[in-house]
Amino acid sequence: MKRILITTALLAGVFSYAGGFRVSLQGVKQLAMAHTSAHTEDASIAFFNPAGISFIPNKLSVAVGGFGAISEVEYQSLETLQSYKTENPVGTPLYAAIAYKVTNNVSVGLSVTTPFGSTVKWADDWTGREVVQKMELKSFYFQPMVSYKFNDWASIGVSYIYAKGMVDWDKAVTNLGGTLNINDEKATGSGFGVGFYLKPSSNLDLSIAYRSAVIMKAENGVATFTGVPEAVLTSPQLNVGADGQDAFTAELPLVDEYTIGLTYKITPKWLVSADFNYHGWERYSKLTLDFENAQVGNQADKTVLVSPKNFKNAKTFRIGTQYMLTDKLAGRLGYYFDESPYEDKYFIPETPSFDASVVTAGLGYKFGKLGVDLAAALSFPQARQVDNAYLNFKGQAKAKAMYLGLGFTYNAF
Amino acid sequence: MKKIILSAFAISALTLVSCNTDFERDVNNMTVSTGKADFSKFVSVGNSLTSGFRDGALYLDGQNESFPSMIAKQMGLAGGTQTFTQPLMPNNVGGFKDLFAASGNTEFYGKLTLSPTLSPTPSAPGANLDVIGGTGKYFNNMGVPGAKSFHLVTPGYGSAANLAVGKANPYFVRFATSATTTVLADAAAQKPSFYTLWIGNNDVLSYATSGGSGVDRKGNLDPSTYGSNDISDPNVVANVIKTVITSLKTANANSKGAIANIPYVTSIPYFTTVPAKPITGLSATQITQLNAAYAAYNAGLGQAKTANLISEAEFNQRRINFNSGFNGAVIVDKDLTNLSGLGLPSLRQTTANDLILLPALTLLRDTTIKGGTATPLADKYVLSEKEAAKVIAATDAYNASISSLATAYGLALVDANGKMKELGRAAGIQYNGVKYTASFVTGGAFSLDGVHPNGRGYALIANTFIDAINKTYGSTLPWVDINAYSGVTFP
Repeated sequence: MKRILITTALLAGVFSYAGGFRVSLQGVKQLAMAHTSAHTEDASIAFFNPAGISFIPNKLSVAVGGFGAISEVEYQSLETLQSYKTENPVGTPLYAAIAYKVTNNVSVGLSVTTPFGSTVKWADDWTGREVVQKMELKSFYFQPMVSYKFNDWASIGVSYIYAKGMVDWDKAVTNLGGTLNINDEKATGSGFGVGFYLKPSSNLDLSIAYRSAVIMKAENGVATFTGVPEAVLTSPQLNVGADGQDAFTAELPLVDEYTIGLTYKITPKWLVSADFNYHGWERYSKLTLDFENAQVGNQADKTVLVSPKNFKNAKTFRIGTQYMLTDKLAGRLGYYFDESPYEDKYFIPETPSFDASVVTAGLGYKFGKLGVDLAAALSFPQARQVDNAYLNFKGQAKAKAMYLGLGFTYNAF
Repeated sequence: MKKIILSAFAISALTLVSCNTDFERDVNNMTVSTGKADFSKFVSVGNSLTSGFRDGALYLDGQNESFPSMIAKQMGLAGGTQTFTQPLMPNNVGGFKDLFAASGNTEFYGKLTLSPTLSPTPSAPGANLDVIGGTGKYFNNMGVPGAKSFHLVTPGYGSAANLAVGKANPYFVRFATSATTTVLADAAAQKPSFYTLWIGNNDVLSYATSGGSGVDRKGNLDPSTYGSNDISDPNVVANVIKTVITSLKTANANSKGAIANIPYVTSIPYFTTVPAKPITGLSATQITQLNAAYAAYNAGLGQAKTANLISEAEFNQRRINFNSGFNGAVIVDKDLTNLSGLGLPSLRQTTANDLILLPALTLLRDTTIKGGTATPLADKYVLSEKEAAKVIAATDAYNASISSLATAYGLALVDANGKMKELGRAAGIQYNGVKYTASFVTGGAFSLDGVHPNGRGYALIANTFIDAINKTYGSTLPWVDINAYSGVTFP
């Protein structure tokens, strides 16, 4: 049975698209075990729980890694019997972390990650082009942290989050024969993380962490209308400059996340891990774009455009395992279930999201102080109904996603 | 413990197998059913709306996005080798050079295009009238721009010789099978297994677009006595439609079809773009000047009232007064009591219930002419409340007949009026994120003539037909993608 399961998982060689635009790809080793959190072998714990860096066995540890994320979404209309597929580029989430023990009790660390992001590209002339042709969201989290170890089995850690982000969104303005680009490359936000890490016995790890929401503020956004005649641009109906440009501000929440993780060593060679995540997507109830002059809104103030999003809080369940096949070679497997943060009636093609089952697998090899990890994950998103009354966008959607990861760790001394 | 872990993975694997990652039914494998209908020979009968007329002209791109051609394409998905021929114009501009010249350059111009300032401007006509019909040459699209109901059964409506005397229609002259045939005869000769019929619009529309300059012919059953801007008697319209249905039934005993009702003119931008009280933002000086200019007229009305020539109500209706708010435009209204004996013109200001027609827009904006203030708008620029009521009453009567005929003959009834009303609401009609409204130029659904839809508007109509056809005959014709068709072309 065990062999069969391992074989299946390896053949599947898989990865998945997370709920909303959260991309859970912050550790290659972790991903191989369903992206579970309670693993303190190296600095990659830093993103998952700042308290965890206290339990890294070495004084200085470095972890870096990256992923290739391949995804495709297909939408079909039962009314027109037409279907459309995205042409998403390969996503490349990256991470780097460093942790250092200043004293026996105090550790410091820095984590740089891309925990939120999404690039969805539909054909320019697809039926939903008024909503989105291309939407690219990127974020970088810079997280300095400090952890205090109370004793051999308990630590607390806190981190500060400085986030930078960009949004680049192309959509058609069908009735004016043009397109609108919404762009801000310099959005920023801040937040914090806090966590407790416990090792009540030699074979049990317990990680409890909270990462706050980060409200990304786009203060210097530029909206650019292209292909719209000057007479329309400057008319009171639109009221932007003859160059088609207008300024806008917006806020996008990168939502908070609660995590409880558990790792149990069944034998010295074999461990199992489980995680539960709770994502505060409820915060993304609407998207407000406040234009300086453009009369494209839907509020009393016609420069304010509010689009309902109606996300709801979502959960992720993860279970993973690692078996040391030799002293140096670790084999890893995992499975997780990720909830979509919205219902069918709020499906939006710029952020397609699905309930997804994900199978993960990977290998780790130690070359002395250097560790090399490989991971792969295959996602099985559930096909879903699309019934967005606000957009009158109806049909069905399905997706495919796969993630490959390569990571390095270096535990210096 | 080991067992538990393995079980957990086993359960995970089972979950994967059981969860549906694929569509239950993939649209690429879905078949389109004809239901009880037979789409093998599809013919469309009607007027400009059936022909694909838009932007004030019939031209290639418009014809290729006519609603019957869209429906025919969807019928083709149900199988069979469906061909749908249309009497295509020889160019993408439309209009007729020879008839344009003969009309004194007032009719049969080419399509309207938007100038850089967004004014619809007519193009020069593309070519002379080209005759592409003749014996044995039939077309599936039998839409004849300008045709009223009774024209479908009028012999000689396609005779070139009759053009000069105004008894023929150049669009039918182009493709009639003979000089003596009728539109209906040419349609019936094709023995359609399925047809659409949408006729009666022009029986009220030309009256409305002429600002009510014709006569309401209610009670007059002889259309040969009608003027071109008259409202047809509802029984005339109903009888023609009944004749069309029964003739097509005689031609093909198994024929089935869809018949559409007539939208209210109040749903289309030609009548709704100019606000009923269009004069705003007057300065104090302008107000004083205007009121002074009309003081003599108002005084004259007072005398007429005293002499009992007009009622108190008419006196109040006609008195002209401008203020700093929203003012009605000064118009000529032929339905007012004729006071020319007193040297008083038939003037009044528009109220919220008058419909000022689209062509008046340039006059209202013209700072030299000062239409609606210094220069009254001529009667033809306004469909007054009284005139509009006649149009609505006639439309309601036509639609009642269309509805009962559809029921009597088991035809699909297409509520085009309902759909156009929906489009005319402030909320419009949303389709995959695009909000379509009946707004002129920017609403996305109407062409530059303000009367006919553009490609997307015709697609909306095609889907309304498809819904009615599927509902009546149990077919499963898919909708067309409205957003995929063309809208207004911006400069």
